[in-house]
Amino acid sequence: MDIDWITVSAQVVNFLVLVWLLKRFLYQPVIRAMDRREQSIRNRVDDAVQREQLAESERDAYQNRIAELEAKREELLEEARQSARQTRSQLLDEAREETARARTNWMREVSEEKSAFIDGLRTQTLEVVDLIARNALRDLADETLEEKMAHSLARQIHHLQQELREALRNSKDAIVINSAFELSSSVRSALTRTIHEQVGSAVAVNYARNADLICGIELIGGGLRIAWNLSDYLNQLTTRIDKAFEPLETQSDEA
Amino acid sequence: MTISPDSIVYWQWHALTLNATIVFTWLVMLILTVGSWLVTRNLSEGPELSRLQNLLEVVVTGIRDQIAQVSLQNPGPYLPFVGTLFLFIATANLLNIIPGYQAPTGSLSTTAALAICVFIAVPVFGIANRGAGRFLRHYIQPTPLMLPFNIIGELSRTVALAVRLYGNIMSGTVIVAILLSLTPYFFPIVMQLLGLLTGMIQAYIFAVLAMVYIASATSAQEPEKENTQTSPPSHER
Repeated sequence: MDIDWITVSAQVVNFLVLVWLLKRFLYQPVIRAMDRREQSIRNRVDDAVQREQLAESERDAYQNRIAELEAKREELLEEARQSARQTRSQLLDEAREETARARTNWMREVSEEKSAFIDGLRTQTLEVVDLIARNALRDLADETLEEKMAHSLARQIHHLQQELREALRNSKDAIVINSAFELSSSVRSALTRTIHEQVGSAVAVNYARNADLICGIELIGGGLRIAWNLSDYLNQLTTRIDKAFEPLETQSDEA
Repeated sequence: MTISPDSIVYWQWHALTLNATIVFTWLVMLILTVGSWLVTRNLSEGPELSRLQNLLEVVVTGIRDQIAQVSLQNPGPYLPFVGTLFLFIATANLLNIIPGYQAPTGSLSTTAALAICVFIAVPVFGIANRGAGRFLRHYIQPTPLMLPFNIIGELSRTVALAVRLYGNIMSGTVIVAILLSLTPYFFPIVMQLLGLLTGMIQAYIFAVLAMVYIASATSAQEPEKENTQTSPPSHER
């Protein structure tokens, strides 16, 4: 437990020197370095925060721009769709009109063709029927038929009205009886007798032959014409055929 | 049996003696200073730093934290003094494992010198922090009657500081010396390890107690609280 006071004072000096040395070489540099590092980290963090804010604002701006572009795109698309719709409907209308026009033209053509065809058909039919009937009757016609026709004419004269009988009676010219074939004398005399009975005995009766009658007989006199003729039947047939074609024509007109 | 390094004299001229205490103190100072200088001459301020710089930063930060914890004040002004106390004592004690080394802290002269430094540093920091009037007034708190006791307390704690460190380190050296003569192979090594632990603990105690004394003088706390703060019995051996 001995204290060497010279050593003590030397150690005090030593310690104070060491304090200064360590302060100079250890504490100050280390603390300064740590402070600077802390400062740089803080700066970096601040910088990062600023950058993050900047990035966030830019991101917001870009998002806004994207949204704007999206809206604009949608608008343009809508416009394009609208215009496409308009064009489409316009084109459709035009096409429809065109089609309708073409169809009308076509229908008119068809209808014209049809009526021409029907007319032709009717004419041909009539001609054919007429021809057949005339040929058939020509083949069939003979004296017996003529006789029957004469009877029929006689019956008509028999049932003639009073005014017509008067007209025949007052006729200046002679009464002419036309026939397609030469009438037999018995038929002639029977006819003449009937006329004399019904109209009057003063009336002259002449007989003539007319091939156009086909198969018929007619009495002409006093402005009258009394006939039994196949032409009448054929005319009736023509009328009937015309009537039969009428619905076809109206149908084609409606279509 | 003389084991004080004071008695190992290398050179003498009249009253001036160059004994082992002073020589090994210079060695410790040299190690600390050169080591610090080597590391701190190119310090990194970026995020990447060398291992030794990391070590120094950990040590300095640890000391700062301890000072802040004990004093509840900004550690800046006290760091050089208290930190150097800790580093010097710790290094001086740790080097004990080197054969032929004589720990300067095993000399009562050294511990007395350190205690005197603390004894002077307390009023210096106190006056610098609170002003002379307010600092001196705390000696007559709570009543002027306490003045002699306060002064005696001041002196006795200084003596205790010196003797505590000296006794611990000297006893460690003595125990190892005795054990070496009795059981020379294994047991002294265990005691050496124990001595390292003791040395670190004593360095910590010395520095913390110094800080506590300085803090009691610099803080504006009530004397009763200061007294409770100044005597942590668990730390004293």
